Amino acid sequence: MCLMLPRLPMLNQSFNGGIVIPNPHPVEAVEIIQAPLPDKVVLPLQQRIGDEAAPCVKVGDKVLTGQVVAKTKDHFCVPIHASISGKVVSIDDQTIPHKSGLKSKCITIESDGKDEWIKQSGCGSDFLHCDQATMINYIQASGIVGLGGAGFPAHAKLEGIQDCHTLIINGTECEPGIMCDDALMQHHPREVIRGVEILLHICGADRAIIAVEDDKQEALNSLLLYCHNNRISIEQIPTKYTSGAEKLLVKALLGIEIPSGGLAIDMGVICQNVATTKAIFDAVVDSKPLVSRIVTVTGSGVESPNNYEVRLGTSFEHIVSMSNPNTNQHTVRMGGMMMGVDVETTNTPICKITNCIFVNNLEEKPNNQECIRCGQCNQACPVDLLPQQLYWYAKSENTDKAMDYNLADCIECRCCDYVCPSHIPLAEYFSFAKALYRKTTEDQYRTDIARERFEFREYRLERNKQERAEMMAAKKEELKKKMANDKAKKDKIAAAMERVKKTKKANDDA
Amino acid sequence: MHSNALNTNQIMRQVIYALALGIGAAYTFFGWGVVLQIVLAVVTAVAVESAFLNLRKLPVKPAISDGSAVLSAVLLAISIPSIAPWWIIVVGTAFAIIFGKQLYGGLGNNPFNPAMLGYAFLLISYPLQMTTWASEFLNLSQAMNTIFNLTSVDALSGATQLDEVKTQLALGKVISELELHSISQAWINAGFLLGGLYLIVRKIITWHIPVAFIAGIIVISSMLYLIDHQIYLPMQNHLMLGATMLGAFFIATDPVSASTTPKGRLIYGFLIGVLVVIIRVFGGYPDGVAFAVLLMNITVPLIDYYTQPKVFGK
Repeated sequence: MCLMLPRLPMLNQSFNGGIVIPNPHPVEAVEIIQAPLPDKVVLPLQQRIGDEAAPCVKVGDKVLTGQVVAKTKDHFCVPIHASISGKVVSIDDQTIPHKSGLKSKCITIESDGKDEWIKQSGCGSDFLHCDQATMINYIQASGIVGLGGAGFPAHAKLEGIQDCHTLIINGTECEPGIMCDDALMQHHPREVIRGVEILLHICGADRAIIAVEDDKQEALNSLLLYCHNNRISIEQIPTKYTSGAEKLLVKALLGIEIPSGGLAIDMGVICQNVATTKAIFDAVVDSKPLVSRIVTVTGSGVESPNNYEVRLGTSFEHIVSMSNPNTNQHTVRMGGMMMGVDVETTNTPICKITNCIFVNNLEEKPNNQECIRCGQCNQACPVDLLPQQLYWYAKSENTDKAMDYNLADCIECRCCDYVCPSHIPLAEYFSFAKALYRKTTEDQYRTDIARERFEFREYRLERNKQERAEMMAAKKEELKKKMANDKAKKDKIAAAMERVKKTKKANDDA
Repeated sequence: MHSNALNTNQIMRQVIYALALGIGAAYTFFGWGVVLQIVLAVVTAVAVESAFLNLRKLPVKPAISDGSAVLSAVLLAISIPSIAPWWIIVVGTAFAIIFGKQLYGGLGNNPFNPAMLGYAFLLISYPLQMTTWASEFLNLSQAMNTIFNLTSVDALSGATQLDEVKTQLALGKVISELELHSISQAWINAGFLLGGLYLIVRKIITWHIPVAFIAGIIVISSMLYLIDHQIYLPMQNHLMLGATMLGAFFIATDPVSASTTPKGRLIYGFLIGVLVVIIRVFGGYPDGVAFAVLLMNITVPLIDYYTQPKVFGK
């Protein structure tokens, strides 16, 4: 029997701040549409974290769906799989979904339309007989990373766990407007619950909590229908932006505040996103690699916002065109309206962290005005910073002072931007100030090292000189002694010679 | 991607609207002078700010339309006597805008409350004009005559209650011998109190500064009253006389020059309240709001630094 715990608002140990933003483009029913197979997929070799993967296929090779096409030696990273079957047509630089619009090395596979899969064999549905290490291997080999948007390799969170008391499954949509996790919970509740059981088995936690926002009643109901494990409970939390952030979710659910700079596991808690959990289920039970994900397409530029299950590497355009975009000029954003990144074109591949594509009508941004220190930002800040003070120091590039005001703890959630009556892009200032601080400290480090080296060299030269002088002095002394010695010997010889001479002379005389 | 809440221009406008009740009360008692002073102040502020922005080669329209210059002008205009000669408000407003705001870099960069800087400047430079208040309702032509110096004003003017108390005490009288019946001041204060509550309800200001300000006044004036009720006014007089409510809700809460942390705002407001009473009672000037606010403006960077909220996870 699964527990459903509604939360009384007064008992809520939630974090401070955060903002309530209604879904800007609500839909009547949250569906998942299977996107048709794309003609080609583009798979970037650089993933969110770690080194660039090295391709293990050549141009012209035929690949099957789920086949590994690139990997790194680093066990922390996950391999990259072909998401369709077909032929590798190029390994070259392509536009990737990044703010910079930069190109990066990608493998392009042209579909043969058959979607032939590699052979898979996982632990099977009777997975409890598998040991943890085997399961974690499957998870790593299946290329699973955090699908909530962070892209942190899932196996890395699960390896070497000791003393984990609570597993938290994050079913909160990280930002308003995104519906992909809601859709997943509504349409794949069985896989999610089984995935939670697998995770419980791996991490050995006493209990698991699935956190669902209180505006997602259908998701809650469908999960309840499939949840028959008394170690798993489902908790509703108030719909508030930034409750999806791991540390804040832990605080909201358990009242545990993870120390600044620490990890959830330090406090015995592990968090995984619901979509990641479902992917883990697929990986462990069938050893099915992660080749597709659910993506929300929404925004003022599309007539029918929807969720699509789509193969990784498919271009944004493929599913944007299915959502009836209007004919206006658009801005395209990967991720949510708050923390997403603007990309230049829809001709860029969907990757593992693409939870949402916002297509918005091009709008003129309001001009920003001066900060009047009204303090609305510090009321909205979920980590209790003073953005108005940070802004002042970030603007004047006084990074030391900004660090004094805990700049490093800013999670760049942009709550402050959202409420700012002067429309100041505060989070941008903060991310700039952070980069500047890193650079100045790095520069400082380099100068320090250079100075140390210089000083050591000076010291070494001085030491050498001194040592040489000492050595010379010692040698001189020795020479002197030797010479004195020699003189004594010579004198002795001379004396002996003298005696010999004398004796000789005496003998001769005689 | 912004909330639908008020933007900076709308905030300034709301504050100006919230002043209406207090201004209405002042009009009821002092007449058209109040209105004329506001008109003169606003015209001066806009003209001076435009000129200065031109000098600084900055766009004029966005800065004027943010309403901050107009707000400073209105605050200064309602702080000075309604029958002060026209050049008083013109000089004061110009000083406030130039020295209080533009020389520091415009909106958001000024460490001092511009209106109070202008007020302090006027009070020090022109004490006579700044302490001569209307004693009755003036109609438009009377007000015009007085402000533009067309006729003599003696018949219509008097000192404020706080000034009167000071003078009488200096003459050796005690509080119980004084007749304290300043209906006008109480009504004006009530008007500003209501306007201030509106600002709190609209979430344009937080409750911290006004509540702490009033608490400061109550604490220090009660202490003094307990020490000697013959020479110190009771707290209700301190609360409802002078610029107390205007100061608590509209002047000390100027976000730019006030402390910005929740705890800091409490300290800042409380100390202003304390200083207001101390300056009123022991200082040479009848009211202390302007000086108290300016003194506390200086301490804001310090207060802000030491009252940072505990950051999540620290």
